[in-house]
Amino acid sequence: MNTLRKAVSLVLLVAFCASSAFAAGAQEQVETGGTLNVYSIMPEKYATTIFEEFTNDTGIEVNFVRLSSGEALARIIAEKGNPQVDVLWGGPADTYEAGILEDVFAQYVPSESQEIPARFRSPDGYWTGIGVIPLTFMSNTAFLEEKGLEPPTSWNDLLDPAYRNSLQMADARTSGTATERIYSLVQALGEDQAFEYQKKLHQNIQLYTKGGAGGAMPVATGQAGAGIFYIVDALDIQQQGYDLQISYPKEGVTYGVEAAGIIKGAKNLSAAKRMMDWASTERLGQVMVENRINYIPTRPDVTVTNPALDMSKVTLLEADASWKGENRSRFVERWIDEVVQQ
Amino acid sequence: MDRRSGSTVALIHISATIGIVYSCQAAHNPIAYKEGAMIERNTLKPTRKSLMKSDPALFSAMVAVWISFAIFIFLPLLRLVMTTFVIDGTFTFENMKEALGKSYHIKALYGSLILATAVSISGTILGYIFALAVTRTTLPRVFKVLLGGVTILPLISPPFTSSISLTLALGPNGMLLKAFGIENFMIYGFLGTWISETLTYFPVAFMVISAILNTMSANLDDAALSLGASRWRMFRTVTIPLSIPGIGNSVLLLFGASLADFATPLILGGHSFPVLPTEAYLMITGMFDLRGGASLSFLLLIPALFVFLLQRLLIGKKSYISVTGKSGARTEFAKLPRELSMVIAVVCSIVVAFILYLYAIILWGSFVEVWSVNNSFTLRHYEYVFKHGRKAISDTLIIAFLSTVIGSVLAVIIGYIVQRKKFIGKRVFEFSSLLNYALPGTVVGIAYIIAFNERPILLTGTLSILVAAYVFRYYATGIRSVIASLEQIDPALEEASLSLGASSTRTFTHITIPLIIPAVLAGMRYLFIHCMTAISATIFLVSVRWTLLTTRILESMTELQFSQASAFSIVLILIVFIADAIMFYLLKLSTAKFHKPQEITNEKIGA
Amino acid sequence: MKKSALELRDVTKVFQKGNDMFRAVDMVNLSVAEGEMVTFLGPSGCGKTTTLRMVAGFELPTDGRITIRGADMTNTPVNKRQIGFVFQNYALFPHMSVYNNVAYGLKARGEKESVIRPKVFSALELVGLKQVENRYPGQLSGGEQQRVALARVIVMEPQLLLMDEPLSNLDAKLRLHMRSEIRKLQKKLGITCLYVTHDQGEALTMADRIVVMNKGRVEQIGTPFEIYSNPQSLFVADFIGHANVLHLPVTSIGDEKISVEIPGGGSFSARALRPQVYHASDTIYRTGSTAALIVRPENIGVIERDSDENHFAAVVVSAIFVGSHIEYEMTLKNGEAVKASVPYQNGMTIFREGQEVSLIFDAPNSVFLPS
Ligand SMILES: Nc1ncnc2c1ncn2[C@@H]1O[C@H](COP(=O)(O)OP(=O)(O)O)[C@@H](O)[C@H]1O
Ligand SMILES: [Mg+2]
Repeated sequence: MNTLRKAVSLVLLVAFCASSAFAAGAQEQVETGGTLNVYSIMPEKYATTIFEEFTNDTGIEVNFVRLSSGEALARIIAEKGNPQVDVLWGGPADTYEAGILEDVFAQYVPSESQEIPARFRSPDGYWTGIGVIPLTFMSNTAFLEEKGLEPPTSWNDLLDPAYRNSLQMADARTSGTATERIYSLVQALGEDQAFEYQKKLHQNIQLYTKGGAGGAMPVATGQAGAGIFYIVDALDIQQQGYDLQISYPKEGVTYGVEAAGIIKGAKNLSAAKRMMDWASTERLGQVMVENRINYIPTRPDVTVTNPALDMSKVTLLEADASWKGENRSRFVERWIDEVVQQ
Repeated sequence: MDRRSGSTVALIHISATIGIVYSCQAAHNPIAYKEGAMIERNTLKPTRKSLMKSDPALFSAMVAVWISFAIFIFLPLLRLVMTTFVIDGTFTFENMKEALGKSYHIKALYGSLILATAVSISGTILGYIFALAVTRTTLPRVFKVLLGGVTILPLISPPFTSSISLTLALGPNGMLLKAFGIENFMIYGFLGTWISETLTYFPVAFMVISAILNTMSANLDDAALSLGASRWRMFRTVTIPLSIPGIGNSVLLLFGASLADFATPLILGGHSFPVLPTEAYLMITGMFDLRGGASLSFLLLIPALFVFLLQRLLIGKKSYISVTGKSGARTEFAKLPRELSMVIAVVCSIVVAFILYLYAIILWGSFVEVWSVNNSFTLRHYEYVFKHGRKAISDTLIIAFLSTVIGSVLAVIIGYIVQRKKFIGKRVFEFSSLLNYALPGTVVGIAYIIAFNERPILLTGTLSILVAAYVFRYYATGIRSVIASLEQIDPALEEASLSLGASSTRTFTHITIPLIIPAVLAGMRYLFIHCMTAISATIFLVSVRWTLLTTRILESMTELQFSQASAFSIVLILIVFIADAIMFYLLKLSTAKFHKPQEITNEKIGA
Repeated sequence: MKKSALELRDVTKVFQKGNDMFRAVDMVNLSVAEGEMVTFLGPSGCGKTTTLRMVAGFELPTDGRITIRGADMTNTPVNKRQIGFVFQNYALFPHMSVYNNVAYGLKARGEKESVIRPKVFSALELVGLKQVENRYPGQLSGGEQQRVALARVIVMEPQLLLMDEPLSNLDAKLRLHMRSEIRKLQKKLGITCLYVTHDQGEALTMADRIVVMNKGRVEQIGTPFEIYSNPQSLFVADFIGHANVLHLPVTSIGDEKISVEIPGGGSFSARALRPQVYHASDTIYRTGSTAALIVRPENIGVIERDSDENHFAAVVVSAIFVGSHIEYEMTLKNGEAVKASVPYQNGMTIFREGQEVSLIFDAPNSVFLPS
């Protein structure tokens, strides 16, 4: 029975190897208290800077991976049974609202939360605003000169045939910037008129990009003439040295609240809470200002130096996160059916 | 243990048991129990022993392989099916209906099929032209070497690299368009995706077709010419008909590749030309709709499996590229007619120039301060890559290395079992092994994340899940080359070893392995390249702890850091190039040892 | 009685060809004594190789038993049978030197290098090879490869030596030479050997006994002499030495002999065989029906036409002078073709095409079989 024994022991060996591989896999999950795992929707370069400061202040190491808002939420939902990260950092508040419906966020009210205006945080403590970003028009100066145009100051300016095939903006299925654009239009023009408007605008569209900032580089390099972006993305590309014009529509725009929140079942809960506490202090706003990370801080007591972030002359429209969350899918479906496929 | 993970365990057990039952029946005699009806049984009945006793090593290998199939192929697929078709415990087509109900998705299905058809045709034609240039023209050797070298570039680059530079060259206000004064050229949509995928995949057609053009007997050419056929006539009546199998195979390969490609349409598809893999990806990442995405990927599964089966049917059991090593007196292939050679040379030059131009853009972009605004030279982006991308680079290398090693071992075992052993369910076995390869990457990625996110097989966020995804998807090339190599090695060599008293294990390690090492190394090269550059399956699987260069490139792209993306791409291409060169060198070394002075017995190996 | 070296009982092998079952080997029975050399002879595809491979253990029989030195080996794996197998194409390991090829089996058995070395060298010497141990198989001639293959097997001192057409890849001259070498070696070592060939010359010269196979069945087992002179079937008669087979009407039946009518007149009688396949009670020859007369070309004399009624009248179709012999092709009165091979002596007449002749069949060397 020697061969039989050999066979059995070989099978056992294989099974052992396999199981130890899984065990190793499982062990990788366990982390000690000194680190924090994060999905960042905020662009990598900003997140890197901000987390470095956080580590300096608290001694907590941050591991993170940057994902688009959709990917991040999809991941978090898929990983619900066994969360891989402790905090979701950045991304529009309505992503968080969608996540609340899936029960993936934990409630936590950070220490200095009361200093942040109520419209910038979740009423139930699921998320806290870390920055405000209005939508803006961004156009290529050379393009405007060539066509003899002024920077657009009304939504209707973009319907000018001079923009034919020259606009790049985000695709509503994948980008929070795009849904923000629809919210703005609905708030400024009314729902049905907003979609009528977009049908017309569609004639001038060169490309709907997957990411909210996807069109910024093409506009900067002259591949496209103009687009609609969050201010943070527009300023970022302008700061790189491209000749661009930033302007606002007189009918007004809504703004996004960049948020952060703790994942339900977080394995490093106390560290996660410390990150949320840190984010509610003035310190985060100062880090952003110092590093030219162009979010408008949610703490009114932080002074903003960049004139482009001065909102006093801009018509800002209010649209709270729960309204956005409730209407998002409906708007997106309407957008696909009526605008893209017309 | 909750109910769901309980069912998962049960599932694994069932799949594994099926595997074990199959392998137990794998007696040496394939018809052991079918013949009873036909033969009047003798009283001296031989007792038939199970495989477990007669060949314990094979038995354990089969069990191990079936278990790994159960875990890494069947389980994810089953979970995907369940996610798609089971709502609240009942089987339903609701999700499917919903996915099919949207006209945009139907459009995406058509888009996928049209694109795949177009790419497979154009890519094959271009590949054929390149193959002719290399094998059948009198063009200078330098030029032929250049053709070979340049076609490697798209093979070893991450899939979206060329898309980006294509946008810069042919996009709105693109440099080439400006240079030629072309207006109203719309790259976003079918046209751009088609051009980019053709450029990305035609090297595959080139390799497949030039292999078959090379193995054709030159004597046929001579015969045709000596019968008074003109060169034109010979080309039409001999060369083209004989390369039909290569053409067919290339068309199917490209069709499958295009069908599964998600990165190119993601960048170039625009909104007017949706395709399924990209839609599935957007559905999940954009609309937070896993079920919808799963349903869409199911739509993709049907044409993908169809093409896969067709290809298996076409190639059949034989590998038609037979590298017999026979070195009889071989005459030169007849050259093509002069006019045709000229046309071919011109087409190849244009394509090569264009590819070089696209890569030059990337190289240049990686060294300039700010793309197209401040063109002063800088190493800043490389600094960034090596400072912030170091982890991605080392992670990618670790993952690629592990996947290559594990994948090769599995490929050898599976290829050996399939080619050398007879057992019930062999077809099922072979088909299962290639399933992940036949499915589009997005489907596999989604299936993996659904399947491995809970106990008992908790793998999300680990190295294992990335390695497994690569191994079970890309070892297919390895399996193919092992099988092809074994087909050319006379089983008598292994029988000789057994008859000399060596165990089957010793035979395998001392005889089989050394003889197929060249094929194994060739398979490893492809495996490594894929692990370094593929993104479709693994984009869902990268984690906080394990990340990949390709996702970093995509990331840089979405963050508008074009120069950074270029620097990442260049680094990646260099790594692959070096690794590939090392493996190619090893390949030469391993074949030189006994294949060189072997001319006499090589014929016997090939017998 | 001495235990036999090898015993096959009702060994059968069925292959599946498409949807059909195909009996490649059908109920083969054979007993081989120690030190005996048995050749398997038959046309290509008759099942010789398959039989040998079942003895080796490469294939398992569908039915029947295989016993080696009294031990049932029917289902024993190849590597436990202690057999040596020489392949048609030698199957030398191309990636190993000659030394390592020959040492392979000993190494696998776990012998020490100090034991292996002398054994390998004496085996190489035995097959007549010197100073090739560091070469690779690809650097050897066909004959040398053949010898290495032999050395690789005999160094293991197997219970049974199995050879499958080992000489078929060599040129004619070398083949003749190796024939006798292998036979000498086999006798010297006293090793039991099964030898497969489709070349009757090889079988006749090398074997102690020959097994003639056809379509998976054994046609006849016997010494070369028995097989040659007493073929038990038309197939054997035809296959060995290309005998003339003439179908002639039976006129009378005696105890041992029968008589037939010669076409064109006369009668001829010779020994009638009763092949083992028939039961003693079967009537296998009947007056009025035909019997098959088996006569070899060298047992026919050709003379000028005479009127002896035991002679066969014939017409010459062709005559070829081949030096030592004259090869005639002729037709009988009933149209059947006959070949004769007449030793040439000086001054002998050579009949020309179209000439009428009489044939003298050597009766003691002619036999009848049922037709
Ligand atoms: N593995 C196999 N599968 C099916 N048929 C086989 C196999 N091996 C041999 N045969 C068939 O069995 C018959 C006998 O073959 P073989 O023993 O090789 O003949 P030979 O007497 O020429 O050595 C042939 O018709 C051959 O085609
Ligand atoms: Mg044979």
